[in-house]
Amino acid sequence: MSDPNNFIHLHVASGFSFKYGTAHAASLVERAAEFEMKALALTDRDGMAGAVTFVQSCEANGITPILGVNLSFLQKKYRVTLLAQGGKLDSLYRLLTAIKMNSDQNLITYEVLEKFSEYSKEVLLLHGPESELALAIAARRSAQAISIYNAGRELFADQAIECVTHQIGGDGPHSTPYAARSLSFARDHGLPAVITNSVRMLDRADGPVADVLDAARQLVPLNIKNVDRRNSEGYLKPGSQMAALADEVSRLAGERTGRGLLDTTREWAERTALSPRLDVGIGQIHLPEASVVGAKSRIELGKQLRDRCEAGLGKKYSGAQSVKAALRLEEELTTVVGLGYETYFLTVADITDLARARGIRVAARGSGAGSLICHVLGISGVEPMSHGLLMERFCSPLRGELPDIDIDVESARRLEIYDAIFERYGDNDWSRPGNQSRCATVSMVETYRARHAIRDVGAALGISPMEIDQIAKALPHIRSRNIGKALENLPELKGLNLNTPILKMAVALAGRLDGLPRHLSMHPCAIALSDIGLQDHAPIERAASGYPMVAFDKDGVEAIGLLKLDVLGVRMQSAIAYSLSEIERTTGEILDIDAVDLSDKPTFDLIKSTRTLGIFQIESPGQRELVGKFAPNTFTDLIIDISLFRPGPVKSDMITPFLGTRQGLRERPIIHEDLREILDETEGVVVFHEQVIKIISTLTGITLAQADERRRELGTLEGQQIVCDWFFPAALAKGYTFEVVEQVWEILRAFASFGFCKAHAAAFALPTYQSAWLKTHYTAAFLAGVLTHDPGMYPKRVILDEARQWGIEIAPIDANLSGKTYLVERSENIGRAPYLAPDSKSSGAALLLPDARGFAIRTALSDVGGISEMEVDSIISGRPYIDLADFVYRSGASRPIVESLVMIGAFDQLHSLATSKLNRRDLLLHLQDIYRLSGSKNPATNSQMTFELAPSQLHASGLPDLTASERVRTEVEITGMDISAHMLEFYGDFLNSIGAVRSSDLMKHRAGTCVLVAGVKVALQTPPVRSGRRVMFLTLDDGFGCNDLTFFEDVQNSYAGLLRNSWLFLARGVIRRTGPRGISLRATAAWELSVSYEKWRNLNLHERARDA
Amino acid sequence: MFENTEVSKPSARVLAPEGEPVEFIYKGRKFHIHAVISRWRESGGWWNRISDGNSHLTDKNILESLDDGARAIWRVEAAPEGALTTFEIELDEITKTWLIRPTSRPN
Repeated sequence: MSDPNNFIHLHVASGFSFKYGTAHAASLVERAAEFEMKALALTDRDGMAGAVTFVQSCEANGITPILGVNLSFLQKKYRVTLLAQGGKLDSLYRLLTAIKMNSDQNLITYEVLEKFSEYSKEVLLLHGPESELALAIAARRSAQAISIYNAGRELFADQAIECVTHQIGGDGPHSTPYAARSLSFARDHGLPAVITNSVRMLDRADGPVADVLDAARQLVPLNIKNVDRRNSEGYLKPGSQMAALADEVSRLAGERTGRGLLDTTREWAERTALSPRLDVGIGQIHLPEASVVGAKSRIELGKQLRDRCEAGLGKKYSGAQSVKAALRLEEELTTVVGLGYETYFLTVADITDLARARGIRVAARGSGAGSLICHVLGISGVEPMSHGLLMERFCSPLRGELPDIDIDVESARRLEIYDAIFERYGDNDWSRPGNQSRCATVSMVETYRARHAIRDVGAALGISPMEIDQIAKALPHIRSRNIGKALENLPELKGLNLNTPILKMAVALAGRLDGLPRHLSMHPCAIALSDIGLQDHAPIERAASGYPMVAFDKDGVEAIGLLKLDVLGVRMQSAIAYSLSEIERTTGEILDIDAVDLSDKPTFDLIKSTRTLGIFQIESPGQRELVGKFAPNTFTDLIIDISLFRPGPVKSDMITPFLGTRQGLRERPIIHEDLREILDETEGVVVFHEQVIKIISTLTGITLAQADERRRELGTLEGQQIVCDWFFPAALAKGYTFEVVEQVWEILRAFASFGFCKAHAAAFALPTYQSAWLKTHYTAAFLAGVLTHDPGMYPKRVILDEARQWGIEIAPIDANLSGKTYLVERSENIGRAPYLAPDSKSSGAALLLPDARGFAIRTALSDVGGISEMEVDSIISGRPYIDLADFVYRSGASRPIVESLVMIGAFDQLHSLATSKLNRRDLLLHLQDIYRLSGSKNPATNSQMTFELAPSQLHASGLPDLTASERVRTEVEITGMDISAHMLEFYGDFLNSIGAVRSSDLMKHRAGTCVLVAGVKVALQTPPVRSGRRVMFLTLDDGFGCNDLTFFEDVQNSYAGLLRNSWLFLARGVIRRTGPRGISLRATAAWELSVSYEKWRNLNLHERARDA
Repeated sequence: MFENTEVSKPSARVLAPEGEPVEFIYKGRKFHIHAVISRWRESGGWWNRISDGNSHLTDKNILESLDDGARAIWRVEAAPEGALTTFEIELDEITKTWLIRPTSRPN
């Protein structure tokens, strides 16, 4: 009798068989380990996205992995399983890539097999119960079956008949009689036969989940016709049961026992056993070859890196600094060369160069900014030494993984960089074997969470789509296993009876879909780079976007040692680039923003004024409050500010002690003189990872690289104990007193997990500073950039009003003058006086703030509601237009767009409405004439223009013009923005009469004063706060800046609904001073502005009537 | 045929010492299984059971009803106990006479 533990499953689908497999790959491995199986296969449907995860679990559980894939063959209805032979996984990967890149349905065809036979000949094939061959056997067409088998002899390394019984009734595929028949067929023709269980579930009880997935996959409701399974036998059975099945099948086929079947199965398992390290490449590193960067050997590569670094160093440093830098460079180069990462740095530098050569702005993000090599190669703009940034935080010989560099680029031109990378590292010819592409995008596994789970289950169960939609929309983004709990607490669903059996069932089932993969999509910003063997390490398919994509996700790509580069599109970089181009267009000045001085006082004055709308990272209400309290004076302050404003520090309340010391309310805690320098910049509070590293290194004498390893260990409770046990003796041995060691340890323990990588914050602080600098010195150009690329959190109308407040004229959309983007113009009209920060005793010296009077921003055509890009282009190319009729005939704009343009005044200037008796209503009437005479809805497309019937002359009809408030209303309707005036202007009389305070005047009032404010809702946030109580933050823009109101729990209940649903508010609150320029209001009441206004007006009318 | 179906608890009415049925009681008579012609397993259709308006279901049995009603089916040849007997049939080759005598009941 064969040992049941020797059974090995060769056909197993996990959740990576999207909407088919019900089990997580890791759970299957763990179960196989419980069964003491020596190996396990993963043969997912249509792809191998789970391969790395699976192999990693196998390695952790001491199980030998086997990899394969189950694909359609010839027709969608047939499926076969391909298995990689030991040592030849690359052939399976390459074959799968070839199939995916040459067929849009994941379909194996003989054409592809013949073309790529050099790969398929190394691959094993199983003809299972869904194969064409199996159906021929089932139909008792033996001759056809054998000819199918023979057709594969030339194309595959070997083929086996896969006997599967799920013990279903009858004698078709998946029944025992059928399995016996296919075994007999194999025996009759001397073909190898194996037994598998065609597994798609972990347990028998997973049947309903499988049914829901079947329904979801086919987009049909559950019905016996739509589910694949007839029973629940397709689960990972123990070896003893598989042996019993083998016996049963074999006996029915006329053999004495199942031994023959089991022996062949085991032989095939041995042939397909893979090594996680050697075959799958876990823990290996595959960087682009030296030749890609033009080097012939490793030595030459090292020399090239050194030469480029030294050249960069010469440009960026001088004097004493360059000596220090040269020393640091030497250390870093030793590390990099020792690790063999030369190509890593050269490749990343090559890519940033590719971008710059195309004039695209690039900035490094993340810990890479800590490396001097990154700085001198031009990858990162931040100077690491003056900010105390450490290479060790980024890359160290003690860490067995490639460092991670992310680059930020202009969002609008991100794909240009993708194209450049693919041009340089890719290979577009996928129709022949031997593709040499070195790069591909990376995939991302989308898993079932609450909303998708309840939608798919609801559709499968046939619950009314409206009901499901209502539930799904109300659900927050939570795990689907928590739906039940969430539903109890959602007031939005009070109208639904959630206690019906079908809904309860839906919730229970959705919980069981929790975390299952449901779709593979392209990661939005990651690219994998490797050598020409890329496809030997990973299968590649085509993403929906058209780019080649590695089937593995980020973690998988890292695990097999490919270079993973994140190319992130950052709108602010586009906004900065646009501002620079507007400056050049309007003044001829070419600015090198990357070279501006980082200690510009007016820039910091602007930041301190809290008028930071539009500036990167520090424009949110919370950040405005923080910069108001903090009053940053230096670039380092900005780095600290960005590091403090994150959930960790906020939650652990690092900000209060820091600001307390900063504002002199609290003495700076200095534990030991040796730590003074490390903690000086942050007022004695630990803020940065780099500080933790230096503290550990200083107190114990270990190297920075070793200290970083210790810092990483602090991330877990277990690790903390280990570090603690080591830290005390090590620091005491260095001669520190127990009190000091204990105090330092407390800080390390408390702050290590909340600290922030300073290099990362510094990399963020650079665009923050640059955008602040541009806003200070080129306010109009900068805000035009912000309006064009919309990088921030505020609606455009708020940015428009921000421009107005600095004295910039907002020019209307104009048929002849507006561009696709927001354009800077010189303005004759000297607008209103710009904002001046009020002086108060506590706010210190007067701030120097920008004055942008004399400039205008021309609003853009693209913001007209409903306009298409084609219309914008065609309008611009037809310029200039001599009148409305000319525009109608030649601009290519559709009639509704032309009408919108008339209504918002795009023809006011062309027809000199300001100085004539004509108005926009006259233009509209005229427009009707034009269309009537041309006899076509869109005369532009009518080639047979009837010129003899010229439209009637434009004349004043006597209709009243739009009032100022009607104009604004029309603008908001059509463009979403109040262009000609701020919305609140029409409430001016009312607000003055009730004594409402302008946001810019709040500073003039004492803390504790109760005031009325008004404004348009800009933002409503309910962030998690330390106490766990819900707080609502409302930001109102009143045309003079922003009012930030806090609604605590006691007032929330009365106003939450109003705050969510209304737009214009009158509110009452108590002033709170939070720092030199920090101010906010504790709200006590809020009303809908228009309602209050109407009441006031009626009252006024009454009074007037009474007085009369 | 369904009116002839007897539902019984397998433990009470079917003797299956090692999971495989050997004897069963049907309409008061004990049957002995002589051959399994075929056997198979079925499950599924759980979704019909909730939409049938079982509004009395509690949370607990909703989860249970997800257990899919798995069933195993045996198609067997069986005869009432004692009905099948082993005989010895003897031909006296000299006298050409037949002798028939029961030997023992098969187990």
